[in-house]
Amino acid sequence: MTGDIIAPDASLAGAYGIAPMTMVKEEITSPLRAARLLARAPPSLADSGERSKDWKYALFLGPSVVLICCVMIYPLGYALYSSLFNYDLGSGIHEFIGLDNYATLFTEARFWSALGRTCLIVTCAVTSEFFIGLFVAYGLYLLVRGGRALSLLMFLPHIVTPVVAALFLRWIFMGRWGLLSSLLISFNIFPPDWLGDPSWARFTVVVADIWQFTPFMILVLLAALNTVDECLLEAAKLDGAGHWTLLFRIMVPSVWPMIAFVLVIRVMDAFRSFDNIYVLTAGGPGTATETLTMYTYTTAFKLLKIGKASALGVLTLLFVGIVAAVVITVLSRMSRGRGKSVI
Amino acid sequence: MKPRFQTQFLLFIALSAFAALNLTPVIWGFLTSIKQPVDAFAVPPKIVFTPTFEFHYQIWVEREFWRFLLNSVVISVGTVLISLPIATMSAFGLSRLQSSGSRGLLAGLMVMRMFPQILLAIPFFMLGRMLDLIDTYWAMIGALVALNQPFTIWLMRSFFIEIPEELYESASLDGCSIWQEFRLVALPIVKPGLWVAALFSLLFAYNEFLFALVLTGPHTKTLPVAIAEYGGEDVNYWSLAAAAAIGIMLPIVIFMMVLQRHLVRGLAFGAVKG
Repeated sequence: MTGDIIAPDASLAGAYGIAPMTMVKEEITSPLRAARLLARAPPSLADSGERSKDWKYALFLGPSVVLICCVMIYPLGYALYSSLFNYDLGSGIHEFIGLDNYATLFTEARFWSALGRTCLIVTCAVTSEFFIGLFVAYGLYLLVRGGRALSLLMFLPHIVTPVVAALFLRWIFMGRWGLLSSLLISFNIFPPDWLGDPSWARFTVVVADIWQFTPFMILVLLAALNTVDECLLEAAKLDGAGHWTLLFRIMVPSVWPMIAFVLVIRVMDAFRSFDNIYVLTAGGPGTATETLTMYTYTTAFKLLKIGKASALGVLTLLFVGIVAAVVITVLSRMSRGRGKSVI
Repeated sequence: MKPRFQTQFLLFIALSAFAALNLTPVIWGFLTSIKQPVDAFAVPPKIVFTPTFEFHYQIWVEREFWRFLLNSVVISVGTVLISLPIATMSAFGLSRLQSSGSRGLLAGLMVMRMFPQILLAIPFFMLGRMLDLIDTYWAMIGALVALNQPFTIWLMRSFFIEIPEELYESASLDGCSIWQEFRLVALPIVKPGLWVAALFSLLFAYNEFLFALVLTGPHTKTLPVAIAEYGGEDVNYWSLAAAAAIGIMLPIVIFMMVLQRHLVRGLAFGAVKG
């Protein structure tokens, strides 16, 4: 069975006579709740003696908190502050302009199309990753032998340095000399310019994301499927359920919280993905594959407009926050509807 | 409940085909790295050819990619050495704290992990310029340690909360101070977890690209930045870039073999892609 490599490491905990982590098995009804369950502290005696110890435990957080404040919170504040300035490293201008950077961006076609493009790429990529991941994970789940080796092999693209992975893909999709193009040419098919044609470039960027992140989906979904109660499946089979019913009516609903959790993570990550696009197209041709992150990068480090780039970054953050909130709400609604449909 | 032999066989073939398709780019990269340019640019693509390892030698020795490897190693190891101890302490603290404050902190860490990193890259660059830290190891290590904290704390915490309360209780009955609880009770138990966290952090630092692109310079350039510069060049450098890419990938393959049991736990918190 593949379960033994995939399941959260039970042997480790077992070795010390400790109950293995049961996070996924608990009845989690929403991603938020899942996060909360993950964060739940162990049961305590909660007597007054424990409470007085709290501040001593809090001391252990000291170094991290100091570091995070210095290296993350302070720079974040600095970015917010710079977003209020017309700050151009090239010409050395540094003047306070209030919210003008934001106002300019809101009226800029390039900003809106970058935003729309980002949404499109993220939606296409994550949806495909989820369905491919689910089917492959189900396949691996059914497989009696060899699943362990196969899932490891499939996993390689995800763990390779992202830049290197993107280069590997570049060598596949490169015009004329890339593997795909030269294969097509040898069959006398004239290949499209995968990276040079605007719509094909977008397609290639999506494919790149799918290639790199489907393994992640497979692994997490397989771990999730392995937690489904076998009795439930046996019962459904006796009632004559086919694979489709088993997968979508029983397994998916019963691991839905885990799925929702992983989808949220994936959407957030896809939103800020940078390495892939930087190496594959650098946002080109023109601005055909320019995502928000890529646009921010160009503004900051190519055009050296620090103020505007900071404003862009802040808007990206706000937008990611909104998307996260929407995705979490929608997914937990869906899980409420689905939770009841289990058998 | 498992299907019959024939179905199993077909399933295995289908999944193998999928795995093969998945690995094609990697295999193709490897083949390119051991091909002469004549073979690399052949249409239709050549599968049979005389392999050569001269490009591997050229890129790593003559073109001094070993320097970038050294930079990558210094930065990754430095990151782990600083990040892991403080994250482990925090994780211990958080696993023992009962108040709702600790939950808030954990949620906050999760938010930080979701952060669009480009927003941080800009101030890092500006502050680095002001403090004259660009192109030093410290700038990179500092940035990576901070970026790595949320993940490492969450991961280590998942090991700490498996320790039963009774152990701490008996320890405190025996007169253990809180530091001794940490040092003598909790730490030995989570030792395997420490290795997992260390390896994941190492991988994170080794793979990181955006901040390396912004914060490193000629003296501290890491492998991802160096290869991105090479791979972007025209096709004449293909074989060289492919040789470099394969070299960069090797430690990761070894890493994967070592960590296969722990992949899910690490990945659920999004280790690899920062």
